[in-house]
Amino acid sequence: MTNHTHNRPAIVVPDKISICQPQSTVLPNGVTLHILNCSDQDVARVSFVFHAGTSFQTTPFSASSAANLLAEGTSKFTAQQIAEQLDFYGSFYEVSLDRDYAVITFVSLLKFFPQTLETAREILLSPAFDKKEIEIYCNKRKQRLAVERSKAAFQAREIFSQAIFGNDHPYGVSYPESLYDELTRRQLFEFYNKHYTAENCFVVCSGKLDASAQAMIAALAGNIPRGNADSAAGFPKAHSVRSRYKKYDGAVQSAVRIGKLLFPRTHPDFVPMQVVTTILGGYFGSRLVHNLREEHGYTYGVYAAMANLEHEGYMAVATEVATEATEDAVRQIFVEMDRMRTDLVDEHELEMVKNIMTGEVMRVLDGPFGIADVTIENIQNGNDNDYLDRFLETVKSTTPEQVREMAGRYFDPETSTTVIVGEDPSGGSFGLDR
Amino acid sequence: MIKYTEHTLSNGLTVLAHHDADTRMAAVNIVYKVGSRNENPKRTGFAHLFEHLMFRGTKRIPDFDIPVQEACGENNAFTGNDYTDYYITLPAENIETALWLESDRMTGLDITEQALEAEKKVVIEEFNQRYLNQPYGDMWMLLRSMAYKVHPYRWATIGMTPEHIAGASLSEVRDFYRRWYNPANAILSIAGDIPEAHAMELTEKWFGDVAGKELPPMQLPAEPEQTEARRLEVTRPVPATSVTVAFKMGGRLDRNFYDCDLISDLLAGGASARLNQSLIKERGLFSAVNAYISGDVDPGLFIVTGHLLPEVSAEQGETAIWDELEKLKSVPASDYELDKVKNKFEAGTIFGELNVMNKAMNLGFYKMLGDMALLNGEIDIFRSITAAEVMEAARSTFRPETSSTLIYHPENRQR
Repeated sequence: MTNHTHNRPAIVVPDKISICQPQSTVLPNGVTLHILNCSDQDVARVSFVFHAGTSFQTTPFSASSAANLLAEGTSKFTAQQIAEQLDFYGSFYEVSLDRDYAVITFVSLLKFFPQTLETAREILLSPAFDKKEIEIYCNKRKQRLAVERSKAAFQAREIFSQAIFGNDHPYGVSYPESLYDELTRRQLFEFYNKHYTAENCFVVCSGKLDASAQAMIAALAGNIPRGNADSAAGFPKAHSVRSRYKKYDGAVQSAVRIGKLLFPRTHPDFVPMQVVTTILGGYFGSRLVHNLREEHGYTYGVYAAMANLEHEGYMAVATEVATEATEDAVRQIFVEMDRMRTDLVDEHELEMVKNIMTGEVMRVLDGPFGIADVTIENIQNGNDNDYLDRFLETVKSTTPEQVREMAGRYFDPETSTTVIVGEDPSGGSFGLDR
Repeated sequence: MIKYTEHTLSNGLTVLAHHDADTRMAAVNIVYKVGSRNENPKRTGFAHLFEHLMFRGTKRIPDFDIPVQEACGENNAFTGNDYTDYYITLPAENIETALWLESDRMTGLDITEQALEAEKKVVIEEFNQRYLNQPYGDMWMLLRSMAYKVHPYRWATIGMTPEHIAGASLSEVRDFYRRWYNPANAILSIAGDIPEAHAMELTEKWFGDVAGKELPPMQLPAEPEQTEARRLEVTRPVPATSVTVAFKMGGRLDRNFYDCDLISDLLAGGASARLNQSLIKERGLFSAVNAYISGDVDPGLFIVTGHLLPEVSAEQGETAIWDELEKLKSVPASDYELDKVKNKFEAGTIFGELNVMNKAMNLGFYKMLGDMALLNGEIDIFRSITAAEVMEAARSTFRPETSSTLIYHPENRQR
């Protein structure tokens, strides 16, 4: 006999997360600096968050290009000099861009943080947008986008955004890569001057920061020029279509996206719908994984998630399935959504999902930088860091009836959007005229 | 710097524990010293298929994931050429749930014909998704079969072909389990807010009475020295020509491994690195370039690879890559440049030790390698490499007669 004499250990579900609150200061130019001083490791990170995501661009590719070209040369240094400065100190520089925000992050060992901030100042305050660098960048990105677009899954993602928001909607639009050729230096400066302003910025830093490091960050953030705040007025409404199919020659799998337009992240149904989406496809062993992967073997992976943006939000199921299984896989996804509308979720399953969501929050917070990411997200949504405990309380109080009610309200097959990219074994119909 | 305690149980299980008081999470990692290099050449991809089956339940616990998730945990696994790694992260209070599950599936796996058939389909879909339905997705498969003729590194972890997976039988599953899944072939590591002595007690409690088994010796065929340049050109529906050159390099415990790791950083470690500056920026030949090492335990591969811009021929791209490699052989790297890649290595190492999962994985990895001094010693090794040593390593590594070159030409078919 082995250890079978030991019984299953008892489980503890942590009830409070309680993360530290940032010290927040409004600088003279209006930028708010949030300092998280609750780590003991000799590393430091600072993120500059600008309201400068892709939905603000009026010129194709200008938002991503402005963000990515910030470090490609400044008024004092060439692109190579900037790269050398960052690499020499082993500093980590990252630009992350979504539809609403551009986040510029610097991470370094504490001992090299002052040097890293010197370079950060150059990058943020005096980018050159040098013509030659723009040309190199555009050639490179054009090609990389072409490579991405040769993947069925990437095509499905782009087409799904168009289908859910509208072809020309700021959240949905995608452009032919050839438009990189038309991007000019003037357009990049226009975007930069308009959006990389104090009114559109907040700063979050974390790590073992002493007073002088904090003063340096404040000096840099306080120098971000004033301009105008971005206005949300005139943001167009989204219009979804029911289905789109694109043929992909020789595909051995179909990329499938099924979803529905929901609501922005401030909506009161946001938290209960997180629970609903997690039950459906938010974890390993979810209903969709169980059905499509474990029971049918149609796919290696299937996920459901909500994307909640500033003005809109949606729920989407994403998977790549064997070509010959495409039709039934789509059917099974709708079966699982429908089951959530009609049947009450089992108490055990709901309990487990709540624990999964608790664990996820704790996992994100492990390590000195997770707390910065969480703080940024909270600020973007107008919350303080106590939000996490409130979030988990709401999660824990969600009832099976509420889950069914939410699913009933939002998983309506009559208003959902289905996108398939693949080789169609059924000759073009795919049963999509539902 | 990761401090730890090590202990071996009487059944042969090696245990490593690291106490981290700054976190509420704990990680339990278990390495089994078996990977795709241990497979039967007629049944490649099996170690990875087996890893999937380890989640299919035991006699006592029919579903592995549910108890993990009930304990607010997350778990996953990966299979490499040399070893298979399983990990669970969860709140430290629930550490025993992880130990209970891992000890149970070390001996109690219970795979039905039906579960095996379903899992084979999943793995074949993984094969399709990651290797066949992607532009350049078969690059590693082609490269491995060209660079290795004898050693099992000649196939990728996913396997040579989906047929090998489709043909796997239940008796093969049982034999593999008996042969490799054994406390004496495993390394358990724990990181989290658990005192190391307590972690050892818990390990004794949950694994102490798992039966130990004799471990048959592992024999792998050595790859004969390559003496002539190898080359493969393929045409595929890809958007850009790609050029990849692979060289044989030293094993993970060889000094040459660190030389090559450092050289790959000189070439491609960050935006300031040579390939980006020269091949993308100055010469405008490539849209993307990279240089990296495969990181295998046995002698592995040094890869230089890139996508060409539309007007550039494969020959031009290849020549440009060789220009950079020749420069490494003839011009010593400056002190500044060496300091840069060494600083970067140090920072990367420290950034890689910031959460419990990485710490537990590192413990298991270095124990698997068989040299725990490397856990906290690699920064010093990197610091000790001189410009002369870099040149010497470049000369011995970047030789046409030990190279394998793979070119993808775009087919005139858009999809």
